[in-house]
Amino acid sequence: MSLYFKYFKVHLKSELEYKTSFILSFIAQLFTLFSYYFTIICLFNQFSNIKGFTMYDVLLTFGIIQFGFAFCETFFRGIDKFDTLIIEGNFDRLLLRPRNILFQLFCDKLSLIKASKVIETIIVLIIAILNIEVNWNGYRIMTLIFMLFSAIIIFLAILIASASYCFLTIKGLEVRNVLTDGCKDMAQYPIGIFKKGFINFFTFIVPMGLVNYYPFLFLLGKSNNKLLCFCPLLTILYLIPAIWLFYRGLKRYSSIGS
Amino acid sequence: MPFIMVKHINKTFKVPIKASGIIGTIKSFFNRKYKYIKAINDISFSIKKGEIVGYIGPNGAGKSTTIKILSGILVPDSGEVKIDRLIPYKDRKKYVQEIGVVFGQRSQLWWDIPAIDSFNLLKEIYKIPDNEYQKTKDELIELLNLKDILNIPVRQLSLGNRMKCEIAASLLHKPKILFLDEPTIGLDAVSKKIVREFIKKINKQNNVTVILTTHDMADIEALAKRIILIGKGQILYDGSLSKLKKQYDYLRKITVITKDKVHLQKPYIVEEKTFEEGIEFVIDIRKIEINEFIKLISSKMSIIDIDVDSGNIDELIVKLYEDFKI
Repeated sequence: MSLYFKYFKVHLKSELEYKTSFILSFIAQLFTLFSYYFTIICLFNQFSNIKGFTMYDVLLTFGIIQFGFAFCETFFRGIDKFDTLIIEGNFDRLLLRPRNILFQLFCDKLSLIKASKVIETIIVLIIAILNIEVNWNGYRIMTLIFMLFSAIIIFLAILIASASYCFLTIKGLEVRNVLTDGCKDMAQYPIGIFKKGFINFFTFIVPMGLVNYYPFLFLLGKSNNKLLCFCPLLTILYLIPAIWLFYRGLKRYSSIGS
Repeated sequence: MPFIMVKHINKTFKVPIKASGIIGTIKSFFNRKYKYIKAINDISFSIKKGEIVGYIGPNGAGKSTTIKILSGILVPDSGEVKIDRLIPYKDRKKYVQEIGVVFGQRSQLWWDIPAIDSFNLLKEIYKIPDNEYQKTKDELIELLNLKDILNIPVRQLSLGNRMKCEIAASLLHKPKILFLDEPTIGLDAVSKKIVREFIKKINKQNNVTVILTTHDMADIEALAKRIILIGKGQILYDGSLSKLKKQYDYLRKITVITKDKVHLQKPYIVEEKTFEEGIEFVIDIRKIEINEFIKLISSKMSIIDIDVDSGNIDELIVKLYEDFKI
């Protein structure tokens, strides 16, 4: 962990080498994400609720998913950009260092520009939490923390799984964006508003439902099953096949010329 | 058991065949054909501790692939590699702690920050104890004269200075083996000399085993007593440079400036060219010694000036490649 912070310092120094670019990109990122939230606010200006979910409900699920994604983009950028690492031949460098490969990948790149998204989602989350109609108690606070945690885990698993695919194809696949951006855009709404097929997809194939739907029902008091509070933790299981795939791919790695 | 042992390794790459032109590109997109390239074909050798070995061969001969297998990046399809009792691609984490690798064409340093920051991060990655790190770092700074360049972002350094930093970075953890993949590529004469002398020094002082690939034969002449020549994935020659010279470097070009017009036509003269100012001979020194030859020509003509070209090692290698048809 302390090594991660050492890397962090190096990346911070690198990014701050280009001051103007850093500041402008940081602001640009803020605006991009803001336009998303703006759409939601406009939407709920017209309809007071969608299938029983209010604006603050949606802002909360939206914020949780965005938080998980932005967190991975910011702090685990190396695995997100794995295909460029392989194409440019820099992956060899990681193999020459006496540390765990996945860990080095997490550390390899850091995008502080994307940190603006993390900050923004935290603000949105705070607004949503202050306004949402929830009877807060110990269980419910724990549920919320689990949800945030599992949002990170689920995107991490998707990123690792799609990175493993680069070992075969070298260039990253657009399929990955279906999984990351696609799921992100769908799952930021409480998936209960969708049809049955979608709900099944997001429960069993890409278990976004475990992150922000089933525990959310408990949070809002729509279900009293206390087990739902722990279901975000199931996403950890999703990491296992992802990591397994990655190490299988690593064995097939064939580097690039010279 | 030898320090580095390589036994019958093979490596084949699957490469897509690309047709040219737009139509060809589209065609190969839908129906991609592959060919299999044998990058390494049954290579075996062993290296003793403290040796410097020059690993040479034309582009695409399999040099880098071998280095990558030896440094644990690639897994051979078959065969066995054992270095200091470890298998590079199996005991990766333990093994890479013992080696340093410099790729002349690829940087190990973080591009936007000064080299010293990279060094400090490498200290953490390799878990080097504080006092040991301090000592090694000071030594390297002293030996390579890095003091003034350590605090400049790497991207602003000249290639020569960057290479010095790269080499220093690869030695911070005191590796037992140093792999250098074209370490002098693109460097000027002065930097080349510094790099060569430094490699020699650490080989002697710390008994570091050095394996280097290069296209610059002067590197080999200055550093390696032993060379391994590889072509089309196979070892063509493994032995001392001097022996190779004896075997292949037997032609000498002797240019004589003279006003006399003489024709010699002897069996040991491979080529004889007359031009305005004099004559150019190419002789076979296996058949006649140079001083004998000079005695002979000085008795036949009055010599104004004479020049003996002592065989360029580059030409030797070209001859060698031709001989082996690679």
